[in-house]
Amino acid sequence: MSSAWNWPLAALLAVAGFFAPVLLGGSPAIYAALVLIAIFAVMSYGLDSIVSDLGEVSLAHTVFFAVGAYVTALLSVRLGLDPVGTLVGTIIAALIAAGVLGLITLRLREFVFSLVTYAVAVVALTVAANWSFIGGSDGLRGIPAFEIGWLGIRAAGDVELWPIAFVLLLATLYVMRSFRRSRLGQAAIMVHLNPRLATMSGIDPQRTRLQVFLFSAPITASAGWLYAYQRAYVSADLLETYFLILMLTAVVIIGRRLLLGPLIGVALILAQEKFWSFGGYVDRIILGSLLILVLAYLPGGLFGLVQALAEARHRVRARAGDTSSQTRPRKADA
Amino acid sequence: MNLTQQLINGLVLGHAYALIAIGWTVLLGVARLVNFGHGQMYMLGAFMTWFSVSRLGLPYLAAIPVAMMAGVAVGYIMQRVMLRLTLAQDLVSIMIVTLGFGYVLHGAAGLIFGSTGQILETPLSTRDIYWGDLWFTWQDIAIVLVAMAFFAILKYVIDNTGIGRTARMVAEDPPLALLAGIDVKKVYFAVFAFEGAAVALAGALVAPRTPILTSMGFDEVIITFVVVVLGGIGSVTGSYVAGIALGLFTAFFGALVSPAYATAAAFGVLISVLVLRPGGLAAAPGGR
Repeated sequence: MSSAWNWPLAALLAVAGFFAPVLLGGSPAIYAALVLIAIFAVMSYGLDSIVSDLGEVSLAHTVFFAVGAYVTALLSVRLGLDPVGTLVGTIIAALIAAGVLGLITLRLREFVFSLVTYAVAVVALTVAANWSFIGGSDGLRGIPAFEIGWLGIRAAGDVELWPIAFVLLLATLYVMRSFRRSRLGQAAIMVHLNPRLATMSGIDPQRTRLQVFLFSAPITASAGWLYAYQRAYVSADLLETYFLILMLTAVVIIGRRLLLGPLIGVALILAQEKFWSFGGYVDRIILGSLLILVLAYLPGGLFGLVQALAEARHRVRARAGDTSSQTRPRKADA
Repeated sequence: MNLTQQLINGLVLGHAYALIAIGWTVLLGVARLVNFGHGQMYMLGAFMTWFSVSRLGLPYLAAIPVAMMAGVAVGYIMQRVMLRLTLAQDLVSIMIVTLGFGYVLHGAAGLIFGSTGQILETPLSTRDIYWGDLWFTWQDIAIVLVAMAFFAILKYVIDNTGIGRTARMVAEDPPLALLAGIDVKKVYFAVFAFEGAAVALAGALVAPRTPILTSMGFDEVIITFVVVVLGGIGSVTGSYVAGIALGLFTAFFGALVSPAYATAAAFGVLISVLVLRPGGLAAAPGGR
């Protein structure tokens, strides 16, 4: 695809995306669902760079998500900072958290790495539920509306939050696209697919890992930042496995390293949960089964399946063409 | 604080931890596999026992095998679904798939058993023993005895029998084992079935100590993880020792500092060990 028509297409998609809630009927439920889709998609992109590019499984990304939400709640409720201030605080806190976790896990690989990140998430849940400074099991309430006075922005409710969520999503998509074209993105892929070659070409795998970690955490945390405003309260449930499974499924369901993959994945999952729900427990079974089935039977995701089907059809057609061209000379022989 | 009482608590907890972790130890030692659904399988074992006792009216001793059979079934299904990934040793996908299984198990258990907490009472857990100012239940004694027997038998089987030799060979070199005529797939199925049965047994025995909830299982995964890594990945003896050490640590930390943060503290210990020695405490990886 040449970049000459890539940009207009992207712009067209962006405009269509912005008007998506109107196109879908514009009801409050639509706005609510789309704001959540945008937020959770941003959350998933942070994990996407670790799973798809670096090839490791971090199960601690719910922690970054919660760090964003909790920092936003603390700074806005206790210090009265506006969303710009809380976003800066969120990014700094996420970088610190990712730096600490990254350094601890620097020498760990594969499942030990994942185990430690998973344990971090579980321990964070018990800490969040017990530590009274951040509200304990009650959480923190009374987060003010999203309001940046000097820009004249005030967003209360999902309809007014939609433009902000959408801009955050677009910014994330842009950052992800730039990351994949950057030296760091290329290095991550090389470390993932061929660590030895990466080392020989002068890439330090551990350093690359740490850098990708530092890149990914603020993305997921910024989703937590907006989610805090959307919900107006935060509590330990931000660290529940639901968000982890949601992220993982969104990352793998469509296919890895596709720019729009996690967004479409989140949209599919939330559409089911919001509009075709079968109750909490059945929805859990559906989401978990989806994750299992895609990984076990569709390594390329749904996109890979579509590609394989298209190829198979193409092959069948080609074979049909072959046989017809082969039969003719035979008839002539006879 | 009564020192002897905490010592007893710690030993009971330690044997419970070792029993909870043993399925994963074997899974990791023999098949180089991990199972993030381990905690939910523990939950399922506890609830199957509770269901058999309180709803089906089975005696406790008959309920345990029912729970273990359910564990075997879940383990078999998991391995059946993941077989392609297992043979390709795609650990990244396997981790996510097992996490997904845990999530599905939680949903299914909530659907079947409801979301309210239950008390799993056994004929042993209600009978207290007072010895001076010390207190424990017959259930605690059962946990310690079963764990000791289980580990002794397992150790014997792995070191001295044909099954053990086969398992060790698959652990060492799967392609070579295949060449030697071992059905590697069968071994993987067996290992996963064993993991399911072992953790269900642990659930049936250990869960009566506390109220049971379908949302439980996360602490158990962390404990298992700490035991397995500290004990030296895949080492049966190491797991036993690490389990008891962790039990004593948890009991004393809970009594001296705070019971709410005991798991977090155990994890903190693990982190410091991992930073100093990424391979765990045991000298040789794969050693048993």
